[in-house]
Amino acid sequence: MYRRTFLKTVPAFALLAACGKSAKTKLALNWKPEPEFGGFYAAPYSKHGLDVEILPGGTGTPTVQMVGAGSVDFGIVSADEVILARSHGNDVVALFAVFQDSPTGIMAHASRNLTSIGDVLKDGTIALESGLPFARLLERKYGFSHVKVVPSPGGDITSFLHDEKFAQQCFLTSEPIAARKQGASVKVFAVSEIGYDPYTTVLAISGDSLRKNPDRAKAMVAAVRDGWRAYLDDPKAANQQMNQLNPTMDLETFAEVADAQKPFIETDATRRNGLGTMSRERWETLIAQFKDLGDISQTIPADECFRML
Amino acid sequence: MSTGVAVQLEQVRRVFNDRLVVIAGMDLRIDAGEFLAVLGPSGCGKSTLLRMLARLDEPDSGQIHMETPSEKRFQTAFVFQDANLLPWRNVLDNAALPLELMGEAKAVRMERARAALEQVGLDDALDRYPAQLSGGMRMRVSLARALVTEPRLLLLDEPFAALDEITRFHLDVQLRELWQRRGMTVIFVTHSVSEAAFLANRAVVLGRSGGAIKLDRRLELPAVRNNELRGDPRLGQEMRLLLGAIEE
Amino acid sequence: MRKTLLPPLIPLVVFTLLAEFLVREGFVRGYLVPAPSAVLRAMVSGRVELLHALLSTSAGSLAGFALSAVTGIAIAILLSSSRGVQRAFYPYAIFFQTVPLIAVAPLLVIWFGFGIETVIASAFVASVFPVIANTLSGILSTDLPLRDLFKLYGASPLVTLFKLRLPAALPQVFTGLRVSAGLAVVGAIVGEFIAGGGLGSVVEVARTQQRIDKVFAAVLLASLLGLGLFGLINLFSHLMLRRWHASEQAH
Repeated sequence: MYRRTFLKTVPAFALLAACGKSAKTKLALNWKPEPEFGGFYAAPYSKHGLDVEILPGGTGTPTVQMVGAGSVDFGIVSADEVILARSHGNDVVALFAVFQDSPTGIMAHASRNLTSIGDVLKDGTIALESGLPFARLLERKYGFSHVKVVPSPGGDITSFLHDEKFAQQCFLTSEPIAARKQGASVKVFAVSEIGYDPYTTVLAISGDSLRKNPDRAKAMVAAVRDGWRAYLDDPKAANQQMNQLNPTMDLETFAEVADAQKPFIETDATRRNGLGTMSRERWETLIAQFKDLGDISQTIPADECFRML
Repeated sequence: MSTGVAVQLEQVRRVFNDRLVVIAGMDLRIDAGEFLAVLGPSGCGKSTLLRMLARLDEPDSGQIHMETPSEKRFQTAFVFQDANLLPWRNVLDNAALPLELMGEAKAVRMERARAALEQVGLDDALDRYPAQLSGGMRMRVSLARALVTEPRLLLLDEPFAALDEITRFHLDVQLRELWQRRGMTVIFVTHSVSEAAFLANRAVVLGRSGGAIKLDRRLELPAVRNNELRGDPRLGQEMRLLLGAIEE
Repeated sequence: MRKTLLPPLIPLVVFTLLAEFLVREGFVRGYLVPAPSAVLRAMVSGRVELLHALLSTSAGSLAGFALSAVTGIAIAILLSSSRGVQRAFYPYAIFFQTVPLIAVAPLLVIWFGFGIETVIASAFVASVFPVIANTLSGILSTDLPLRDLFKLYGASPLVTLFKLRLPAALPQVFTGLRVSAGLAVVGAIVGEFIAGGGLGSVVEVARTQQRIDKVFAAVLLASLLGLGLFGLINLFSHLMLRRWHASEQAH
């Protein structure tokens, strides 16, 4: 009984607190403004009756917790994060999957003449976020006994450029391009090669928020869909805007990356069902992989993880 | 028999910060083996004078001559207002410090330190640390330290000012005895007219600005000074004279 | 014993019970702040991994701290030698204090590689300045009368440094070391975020796995490490200062 009263009064206070500020809808990104978020910057929010404030992120921005806790209205997460969160009681729901296929991969120096992901793990150093499921799947499949595992440098390629035997986790659409610009010759392997393919750069909302304000959620998804269409057709304007916010990447690279990421975003599935589409089968596969890895103790229903609006 | 130094100051001048004339052209002669008290109000230059005599400070102009009866090099000792002991060393090591700094061998300096401490009545406190001693005891260690090098010139800058009266009286008597036994030249700066009169055989009163000598007097008092003198009218007379000079 | 251990334990017990209640009853969400019981469980189930990690971070922070202590004191001695030297080089010492470690750590990896060397370097950068600042302050604030005493007996500046100024500075040196110890632990963990290993790595991996109970368990151990180092320094301080410094005298 006390819990309900408490839970009722807290939002009231929060509302009072928020009254002083504008009723902006907050969208939290999980990295700096880069082409992977292009559609969000290109989206015509006002046309759909929304006033959206985009909050750029960085290393370790806890978007899945921010969405669950209600400190932002929407956040960008990946499908594997949604599954983990839900298994811990954090009610977040996926609404729109920008990347239909995971652009996560491993980048290595071409001079090593490697032919598969397994080869990368036979020698040298590999930088991974070892807590992530794909890293553990790699370990399971190939073993890490011959390679030195170090933390992922989060987009920084300095160590990679310095050491020929250094391989690192990357976004197939960013670090390899940056490395090539610095004169390195790279070979990339998509992690989806080993059968692990979560939706990535996914727009998520808290279950609570979705239930309370389904119209706003619908409007957001519609705006975002329009935005991605616009960005795929012509990324220039949004690139300009993002470059202002993130000058560490030059405009030329912005254009290259925007182009390279197209096949991940627009696929047969999206041509059939619209951009950002998600299917129950894909979610079920992912959940099974998690259960198998032991990251979740019980299977969770795929239908609870996402909603197509 | 005096083993002290004679000091001659000629037109000694000391200026601070290019502006404050602390000592303006002082001429003063101190005879070997004399016990001289220096009195005066705060800021009259007494401490500066003492520091120059100790060679811790140099005059801006003028000369300070030191004459010794025999050898060329001699030792000066200084007793500060605060006992100024090294808190991380025990009593014995503190007393031995000057000899240690002068490179004396350990056995020698320990023995001499022990002897000096015995002279001031502290031979049973050798292992104690300054934090464990009373103010009076600390001052006695400081005195022993000053004596351990057998100085020819002993300079004291209001050493007993922070102590209670009983301890002061006691140390006054002890200091006088030590002087009589060893015969070094003693220059004692003090605020206390009664102490100056009790201890010294000559007193000099400095003026408020520039250290001008307002009074230079041989005290007419017996050679033996003990607590009985405290009630002697002759002491009171000398005190009145000194006080008068200060108050001018 | 009772006087020193009991008072801090009371708020700890109260707070732990309160936190447990709040999470269990749903007032605070368990994925944001774990229940103390969950943290305890994580500590027990991960004890082998956590112990290894603790030992690794301890080694890194201790080595970094020791380096800071030795180097810091040496630098302070050098800086104390002349006003000119001080004015020329002290600003660069301040650099160690103000540089954002998390920005410098990736550079350290380039120079020292992905191993404990980077962790030690990181711990060093984070913790050296308080040692320099406090030691220098201690050396320079030696009483004038004591310095006069040494001058009177013809002691050279070097002798004065070792027999007077350094011993006199000891209490302040320990103050610097106390601050430095905690910073060394933080520095080591930041280094581990970038170079791997130790508690930093446990935190990082647990974070990506959304295992907040494990994150708290590792953080708790890191705090205990810092506390342990602090206690060790206090012990040394007590042993070295007890006979003479007011800070160690009985009330």
